[in-house]
Amino acid sequence: MPNIVCCFKWVVDEAYIKPSSSGKIDLEWAEYKLSDYDRNAIEEAVRLQEIYGGGVTAVTVASSDATKGIKDALSRGPEKAYFINDDQFENLEPSQTSAILAQVIADQIDYDVIICGEGSSDMYSQQVGPRLAEKLGIPCIAFVNQLSIEDKQIIAERKTDEGMEVISAPMPVLVTVLPDINNPRVPGLKDTLAASKKPVINIELEDLASEYKRLLIDKGLKAASIERNCTHFGAGPEDIKAFVEAIRKTGVIDRG
Amino acid sequence: MNFKLTEEQELIRDNMREFARTYVDPVAVEIDENSRYPEEVIKKLAEGGWMGMPFPAEYGGAGVDYLTYAIAVEELSRSCAATGFTMSVHTGLACGPIALYGNDDQKKKYLTPMAKGEHLGAFALTEPGAGTDVGAATSTAVLDGDEYVLNGVKTFTSNGPVANTYVTFAWTDKNDKRNGMSAFIVPRETPGLSVGEHFMKMGIRASQTSEIIFKDCRIPKENLLGKVGDGMKIAMNCFDHGRIGIAAQAVGIAQAALDESISYSKQRIQFGKPISKNQAIQWMIADMYTDITAGRFLYYYAASLKDQGLPFSKEAAMAKVFCAEMCSKHASKAVQIHGGYGYCKGQKVERLMRDAKITEIYEGTSEAQRMVIAGNVLR
Amino acid sequence: MSGVWIYADKYEQVFELLTAGRGLADSLGTKLTALVSGDNDTAQDLIARGADEVLLFPPLAEDQPVQDYVPLMADEAREADPDIFLIAASLKGKEMGARIAARLDTALCSECITMNIDDKGKLQMERLMYGGSAIQTVSINSRPQMATIPPRAYEPAQVIDSRQGSVRTLKKPEPSGMKVIDRKGKAQSSGDISAARVIVCAGRGLEKQEDLDLVRELAGVLGAEVACTRPISEEKHWMTEESCIGLSAKEVKPALYLGIGVSGQIQHLVGIREAGIICAVNSDENAPIFESADYGITGDLYKIVPALIEEFKK
Ligand SMILES: Cc1cc2nc3c(=O)[nH]c(=O)nc-3n(C[C@H](O)[C@H](O)[C@H](O)COP(=O)(O)OP(=O)(O)OC[C@H]3O[C@@H](n4cnc5c(N)ncnc54)[C@H](O)[C@@H]3O)c2cc1C
Ligand SMILES: Cc1cc2nc3c(=O)[nH]c(=O)nc-3n(C[C@H](O)[C@H](O)[C@H](O)COP(=O)(O)OP(=O)(O)OC[C@H]3O[C@@H](n4cnc5c(N)ncnc54)[C@H](O)[C@@H]3O)c2cc1C
Repeated sequence: MPNIVCCFKWVVDEAYIKPSSSGKIDLEWAEYKLSDYDRNAIEEAVRLQEIYGGGVTAVTVASSDATKGIKDALSRGPEKAYFINDDQFENLEPSQTSAILAQVIADQIDYDVIICGEGSSDMYSQQVGPRLAEKLGIPCIAFVNQLSIEDKQIIAERKTDEGMEVISAPMPVLVTVLPDINNPRVPGLKDTLAASKKPVINIELEDLASEYKRLLIDKGLKAASIERNCTHFGAGPEDIKAFVEAIRKTGVIDRG
Repeated sequence: MNFKLTEEQELIRDNMREFARTYVDPVAVEIDENSRYPEEVIKKLAEGGWMGMPFPAEYGGAGVDYLTYAIAVEELSRSCAATGFTMSVHTGLACGPIALYGNDDQKKKYLTPMAKGEHLGAFALTEPGAGTDVGAATSTAVLDGDEYVLNGVKTFTSNGPVANTYVTFAWTDKNDKRNGMSAFIVPRETPGLSVGEHFMKMGIRASQTSEIIFKDCRIPKENLLGKVGDGMKIAMNCFDHGRIGIAAQAVGIAQAALDESISYSKQRIQFGKPISKNQAIQWMIADMYTDITAGRFLYYYAASLKDQGLPFSKEAAMAKVFCAEMCSKHASKAVQIHGGYGYCKGQKVERLMRDAKITEIYEGTSEAQRMVIAGNVLR
Repeated sequence: MSGVWIYADKYEQVFELLTAGRGLADSLGTKLTALVSGDNDTAQDLIARGADEVLLFPPLAEDQPVQDYVPLMADEAREADPDIFLIAASLKGKEMGARIAARLDTALCSECITMNIDDKGKLQMERLMYGGSAIQTVSINSRPQMATIPPRAYEPAQVIDSRQGSVRTLKKPEPSGMKVIDRKGKAQSSGDISAARVIVCAGRGLEKQEDLDLVRELAGVLGAEVACTRPISEEKHWMTEESCIGLSAKEVKPALYLGIGVSGQIQHLVGIREAGIICAVNSDENAPIFESADYGITGDLYKIVPALIEEFKK
């Protein structure tokens, strides 16, 4: 029976991100939420447990006030949580988050399958899952939208730019999941009440052995202009070219 | 003083929001249009443990405080006021009196399946001749051996057409206006109980309303709720806590009206700019936001008094009348902000305005609330 | 050691990264190395398009995923210690980039939208955060400075005759234990507009139901889902309610929305306010949609759409 670990992040709800008059991002009134794709990760872990048995452990690296996030995650089904927290863990970069996760998971948690969301809904760097797999030295299957276990092998259907690949890999393995892998259930009242009683293993910075250096230097944040471009083109052949070029420049097409 | 909900209360609110978005929003328009009871949604609510929130776990409830329950009613009503009301009548007016006045057997037999959401409850007090004036009721209950024989007609019974269990009221002693009324639990299948036609209403159309007719309806003596003569006291007490639910429902409707108004006024362009750039519109939005916040804290206050076991009758009446009236006012303003489109089917504010009005009427009209408040203040 | 490295799992993007990499290599006065799987002809083509050095991967076994190159790429990069390593932000590239960065203990800027070299010779990069509502500027304090680059952010590099360069063939990657047991091409459009990245929306500017084929063809070229306005679903019943966008229908969040013959009434627009880029084709230059669009073409859709199909195919 598989030991399943799911990782989640407690993030600023982007609905609260509004540019201030100076063009800066003001997060003073922001509310937090469970990162959208991590809901799928937790749901998939619980779904696998319902089919194959075993246990589900949720893990997060977060700032110390993210206690609501722990309850939220636990209300969605995992039986225990590791809360790796410090006041300075608010804005970690993917290399730090994955290194911290790797240390705790390697030292303290039995795992056969680790499930992460494809990216977090705030940074969306999509790095933590693959980096964590490397740090643990286990296979990584990213962008998965179907998952099963057969004969101690994980079978995953993953999205590629060309279509789909079905991958088999020995466990332990790490997968990152896409939002269409499942429909996360809505926790019921009793799930929320039960969540407060589940065990939470608290791990603080001083419990961790290594130092986690910042490598990515944040040079500032500004609001992306929300005003629409309002560029007009005529109907001539040159206009068509320029219009298509303008769209291509934005990089939104042909990304699979 | 700290105006902050606990993490658990916040999560429960968020989960109800997620529930309402997932299961209620998709049907809200249709059930309003067809005046249909959303059985599938109520079943989902039951599965999620939402139909018996404030009752002890040993009787099938979730054991949360009344404030948390009221917050859930607000969130549900924000998506659909009728569904919010179905839950609130069931919880506050039907389960509530059994939890408060029922004996252990009654709680096991009736409250438990109700709190689990397997059975739906209704509260049948109002009669054609007895609305605000509850004492004008004419229904009677006569003890005959081990049974009470009920006769009379109840009207405006919410959940009436779909309920399994009714809490009702009748005179056991017609001559004693103060202590002559008693409360009873009547299961639906009791011979002599019949259910009238579902009323077609202006708003909360998915909430089912009908007459309940008792004709030589015999119920065992054990189904007396509380003591003989407790009826009036039980009814008034039910209203006290039911009103917190209605206040929460009204805040939910008003919040939805605000949500819609903000989004529309930022999008609608007239005279070359979004209408939200006009001070006239901004003031409406500012007033809405202010009243909603005031109303919300009024019902939080009433609920937290109740949770602390303190008197809350006046505060519940204040919350109800304030929230209901601000809800009606602002739902109408929301239609105003939407202009002609707001007056047409297909816009949520059109439904909100119809739904809003009832909050000023049921579980005691605004006038009745003011009588309660004045009675307390001028004592 | 120094240098700029590039890798893409698809040729189109190799060419785009050659353009990006060449620019950076020139401003740093260093050489450009391309990693690619292929043969000597491939290598010569990349040299002609700007590479100074090509590291060639031998072909993989049929059941080996392309990610099996990761250990090899990381080992080579550790050895050569380039200044910059760019990887195309395809789905595979994004995963490989993160894994290589982890192996090299360096940082990576995901889906970098602009790159500049500052006066100290360091990369300054911008990327979107918070669902596209904010832009973050970052630089990297470790080596190599890594980034993934979205497709079509750069022009494909052209052939310049008489360019010289070196080619080195790498050893065959070890199988990793991960096996590809099946591959499928792109599924036909599932028809779910709420999850679509690109949406082409049909409005009442279309005259007959058959004309929807024109819109579908454009969608096909863009890999898009087809959606519609309410008159198309509710009045004409040419498409189902499921495909309708707006106040009384669905809200969508595509990266690109392209409205064809859509007037852009508010009830429709509220459904696309979260769209990344809004584009429109409408014959009426005063159509309200142009106020809310990033790029608009004023003209007859029956002339414009076929021209767009041709141009997007290029
Ligand atoms: C949709 C709906 C659902 C309902 N659900 C239930 C239910 O589940 N169970 C139940 O028992 N009842 C229910 N009711 C009944 C509801 O509680 C009554 O309608 C309400 O109490 C008012 O009674 P009435 O309609 O007879 O109005 P009336 O009492 O006739 O009042 C008419 C008007 O006169 C005013 N008025 C009356 N007396 C005075 C006074 N002394 N001083 C000043 N003004 C006064 C009232 O405020 C009102 O404005 C429901 C009603 C509706 C419409
Ligand atoms: C309560 C309510 C709710 C509503 N909800 C929705 C909703 O959810 N979704 C929705 O879409 N609508 C909704 N509507 C309808 C909305 O108001 C508009 O009527 C609708 O969006 C218009 O659709 P359209 O742009 O396709 O058609 P039109 O407004 O008729 O626009 C057609 C456009 O095509 C252009 N055109 C014509 N011929 C050509 C050509 N050959 N080449 C290029 N352009 C051409 C015209 O210039 C025009 O701008 C709602 C309306 C109400 C009242």
